[in-house]
Amino acid sequence: MHPILSDRRRLALYLLGWLPIGLLLTAGLSARASWPTAAALLLPLSIVFAFMSLNAGYLCRVFPIDARATLWRTLIVQVVAAAMVSALWIAIGEMWVRALTFIAPDLPVGVVFAERRLLLFVIGALLFWLASILHYLLIAFEASQQAERRAIELSLLTRDAELKALRAQIDPHFLFNSLHSISALTTVDPAAARRMCLLLADFLRETLRLGANNRISLADEFALADRFLEIERVRLGSRLQVTRETDPQATACLVPPLLIQPLVENAVVHGVSQLIEGGTIRIAASRGGPTLTIRVENPCDPDRPRRQRAGLGLDLLKKRVVTQFGAEGTVLVEEDGGCFRVEVRIPAEVAA
Amino acid sequence: MSPIQTVIVDDEALARGVLREMLAAHADVEIAAECGNGFEAVKVVSEMRPDLVLLDIQMPKLDGFEVLELIASDVTVIFVTAYDQYAIRAFEVHAVDYLLKPFSPERLAEALDRARARIAAKEQVPDGLVAAGRARQTPLERILIRDRADVHVIPVDKIDYLESQDDYVSVKASGKSFLKEQTLAELETLLDEDVFVRIHRRYILNIARLSRIELAVKDNRIAILADGSKLPISRSGYARLKELLK
Repeated sequence: MHPILSDRRRLALYLLGWLPIGLLLTAGLSARASWPTAAALLLPLSIVFAFMSLNAGYLCRVFPIDARATLWRTLIVQVVAAAMVSALWIAIGEMWVRALTFIAPDLPVGVVFAERRLLLFVIGALLFWLASILHYLLIAFEASQQAERRAIELSLLTRDAELKALRAQIDPHFLFNSLHSISALTTVDPAAARRMCLLLADFLRETLRLGANNRISLADEFALADRFLEIERVRLGSRLQVTRETDPQATACLVPPLLIQPLVENAVVHGVSQLIEGGTIRIAASRGGPTLTIRVENPCDPDRPRRQRAGLGLDLLKKRVVTQFGAEGTVLVEEDGGCFRVEVRIPAEVAA
Repeated sequence: MSPIQTVIVDDEALARGVLREMLAAHADVEIAAECGNGFEAVKVVSEMRPDLVLLDIQMPKLDGFEVLELIASDVTVIFVTAYDQYAIRAFEVHAVDYLLKPFSPERLAEALDRARARIAAKEQVPDGLVAAGRARQTPLERILIRDRADVHVIPVDKIDYLESQDDYVSVKASGKSFLKEQTLAELETLLDEDVFVRIHRRYILNIARLSRIELAVKDNRIAILADGSKLPISRSGYARLKELLK
């Protein structure tokens, strides 16, 4: 695609830019000849040259200035091209002079042109280079715009992929264990089995629904965690205890969906369920001015094998917080003794 | 024929319940005990010596494989788990079957048939095979020691040094020592070689505990540990130590 010809607005601007050049040339020549003579000779020639210089666009495409290109080759090509185009221009000028002498024999164009031919040739070459520079700039500008557009597209794609990954993150073992619990309950307590089925269906549906949003309220996120914890309580019984401290100002805040859910899952899978006596998961959320702080704390076995330690979920969480909030979001992970704590701080947003 | 004495091991009450319920249909299977965690399982199985153990894998503190490592190898084991990624390892340690939760009564019956065949044949699993299955998890992250019915779990970073005592290894950790039935050479292959170094025919040292090396007599060096204990260093041991400290 030609950087100027492909856009009508740009072409108009480009031709407009040639007007002062034509006038300047005319003014330069008018020192020697009368105004009408200079104008009759040079204004049409300027317009012709404007179109001829558009060829620089194709040249610049074929010989780009970038890391791969050899600079000297591009320079030689530009010098030769400028000389050829300018020579062609002078030839066209020669014909125009003949035509003018025929149309208006009283204008002394022939003499003036013959006198200034060499100077015009040099000026023509310089102008062609100017056009080349303009084309190079336009090409670079287009490339940077395209790169920017691609970056935006890419970030949208990544976000999309990330959400899909999040929604697919439902741990299959959680499902299998839950189904096993249902299988166990069907004979002993059919009502509980049905309740468990409904809870599970609710949890799955909500995970998919919330995951499709860009932002959800923290209250919704906590409601999802509640369903998850209720299902896990059927399995783990009294080993799983939960406390929550939240203020309504915090739960009204908006958060990326499924931000806290992986933390709660980790607290169960890598924390409480790895303890013989179980323990209490403490979930807290508070809002201090512009910052929303969410903390999930659980007891853990300090001697647990390293491979059982939460890794992937936390890494993903950190990445999400960084990509969405930059320096304003932090994730703090601490473990001391038998206590594992994750604190997420993000800017407090509320629904408009 | 005497009934098959069976122990159920699962940390979830519901999971134990479903096994109990399904096993009721098999007249020749008698539930001798139910355990809610690995420690209990090691204790109960070594005391009762049942014929069959239905063993969950994901449990707190001690997982199913660790339980198996600690109990006698003449017991037949069926693993019961929601995780399919352990299947290969399960057969390497000679489990008769591997049940994936949730399972049907028919699938359990099939597993029991295999167990019956194994018990009738009185097949025994060679000790080495159990160890081989265990060896896949190298480097070792913790050492398990059974002291009669008690089980000690010692994370390797808590170990100061290991001392060979014939067919046993004395594990010194946090001022205590524990006796493990394993040779020093065997343990050496399982430990992280960047942390543990054999400084002597009879000693493996946790390099993090080394305070300094003293020259006792000509060519005769002694390792002084952070807590002040002294261990002899052999000539080849010194070479290995130097290599590691480089």
